[in-house]
Amino acid sequence: MAKKNMVKTLTNVSTIENQNKIAYLFILPWLLGFLAFVIYPFFHTIYNTAFHITTEANNLVYVFNLMEHGGNFGTAFRNLYFFPQLLDFIVMEVTYVPTIIIVAFILALLLNTGNKGQSTFRVIYFFPVIIMSGPVAGILRYNGAGSLFDYVNNIIFKMLVSFSPRFASALSDLFANFTMVLWFTGIPIILFINALQKINTNLYEAAKIDGASSWQILWKIKVPIVKSTGFIVSIFTIVQIGTYALNPIYNTIKNSIYDTAAGIGLASTFAFIYTVTVFTLVGLAYLLLGREAKSKVIHLSSIQKASLEAVHLKRQSKNKRTVNES
Amino acid sequence: MKTLVLKLKNFLQLIKEKEGGFKEYYRTHKVRINRVISQIFVYIFLITIAYVFVYPVMKMISISFMSSSDLVNPEVIWIPRQFSFNNYGVAWRVLNGKESLFNSIKYSTLLAVLQTVISAVTGFAFARYEFRGKKVLYTILLLSFIIPVPILLITQYNMFSNFYTEIGRIGAGKGLYTYESQIVMALFGQGVNSAILILIFVNFFKMIPNDLYEAGKIDGANPLQLFWHITIKLSLSTIVVVFLFSFVWNWNEAYVTDFFVGDGIDLFTNQLGKFDSLFGTRASEGRTEGDALQLVESFKMAATVISIIPLLILYFVGQKSFVEGIEKTGITGE
Repeated sequence: MAKKNMVKTLTNVSTIENQNKIAYLFILPWLLGFLAFVIYPFFHTIYNTAFHITTEANNLVYVFNLMEHGGNFGTAFRNLYFFPQLLDFIVMEVTYVPTIIIVAFILALLLNTGNKGQSTFRVIYFFPVIIMSGPVAGILRYNGAGSLFDYVNNIIFKMLVSFSPRFASALSDLFANFTMVLWFTGIPIILFINALQKINTNLYEAAKIDGASSWQILWKIKVPIVKSTGFIVSIFTIVQIGTYALNPIYNTIKNSIYDTAAGIGLASTFAFIYTVTVFTLVGLAYLLLGREAKSKVIHLSSIQKASLEAVHLKRQSKNKRTVNES
Repeated sequence: MKTLVLKLKNFLQLIKEKEGGFKEYYRTHKVRINRVISQIFVYIFLITIAYVFVYPVMKMISISFMSSSDLVNPEVIWIPRQFSFNNYGVAWRVLNGKESLFNSIKYSTLLAVLQTVISAVTGFAFARYEFRGKKVLYTILLLSFIIPVPILLITQYNMFSNFYTEIGRIGAGKGLYTYESQIVMALFGQGVNSAILILIFVNFFKMIPNDLYEAGKIDGANPLQLFWHITIKLSLSTIVVVFLFSFVWNWNEAYVTDFFVGDGIDLFTNQLGKFDSLFGTRASEGRTEGDALQLVESFKMAATVISIIPLLILYFVGQKSFVEGIEKTGITGE
């Protein structure tokens, strides 16, 4: 009897059944937490956006107001600070993220050449990840320790200002915080190096034999392969910049939560619009980097096929002739 | 340095004596020379970027030692005329140093331990078992990383606030004055960047060979024993990595902490955040000399240095774990 049981537990079917239940047990705490602290708050906050919420005697009072002047959304649109800040945030993401990806990729390329002292540089490039907290970044930025260049008097910059002030201000923000921008590259560099190291070196050899320059190798081999990592990095960076405590919207939302007159409804609306913005940015990154490159299928017309075949035949006969001659 | 110059001189002499001089040498050694030149450029570039990385911290340390006269003196750029260690004393007082340090270490460690344990358990289930809904749950786990914090925080804050009112503990004004809410969330796997920590564990656990588990099962080990004796004991290095990251992230987390803890507990991050307002009440002796506004800057920098010193120590001790941890465990996301 005991033997029979043992045989049964060793067969595939029974073990998988066992594993099922046990796995749920292992996952249970996380799942409960996820339902209670992510799923419920997420949808409840969205639900909040339709109400004017006030506190009366420690109880929240919900008044439906979506129909009056657009409700909280109308108030959010009319808010003097929120939309300019949202715009600032989008400009920040759009300028910072590509810069971070490109800089991180270049640094990863240079660090991946097998030079001496590589690990030292990596240690230096990674350390901001450790110390970067909101207050520290805030103090460094406030005191101008984040900026290096005197770009304002640069003639090219002056030309840009007269050309397009909006673009120039975005650029000046990028330069003013250039060190801070670099500080975001710590983890992306490591991810890129990791991806580069995984590329099979035989590919480079093959390309070199076919006469590819190192520039071509970079564009035709390294960049396409690393592209998927680029997507991960872009998502990571978008989220990181979002949680960067200097993100202007964070403070607006924080203050609006404590603002009892406007209520939590408005704060929820701010948070909701902000979330939608972040999702849109992530979607944009997906469109640009996330999709797998499709291999191109070229449809040839019958004439093209015929001419190609003719060329092929000609070559073959030529080869034969040279073989015969020798 | 002298030997290097001598070597260079000899080298130049050698080239001159050769037929055709530089041109001939360049022609014969083209590949090598090009390589050396490109190497030099790469190093110059890397060092420049490294300088840009370190610049704010060096500037910060430099300013933190400056006295008020050094701050306004245009001749003093990096090295102060007289080092004023007094700045650190004042900053320590303003930060409420002893208590903040103790609290920061205590809570970061507590949260990091909880997060590490729960992430390991969850990661184990995702890495080793097949069960219904696994793919959906895993996708949700990955997606949860991009949900911005504020949209969750508003309701979470209300939930805990209601709960505390119900059990008769009313937090007045800003913040809930307690770390417990965060501990509860960490306990259920929803702390800072929990998704990444779980992902690190999943990727590492997948690399443990299945044979070990088979052997364990044949010897009659139950799942808990498999988890403890095989998985955990084999992945101590990963556990260290996850713990370190969790510790650092919890230490640096300011936004969520500001909501839940508020002014209730003195931590380095929140003390630093309102340094200016604390300065007036706590650093009365510091203000007797010189220009007050200028002084605040070097005090502030000193405070910042103090608050990052524990992290720097941690980084230089566990530097390999940090860098290689991210590499080996691969959040590269295949």
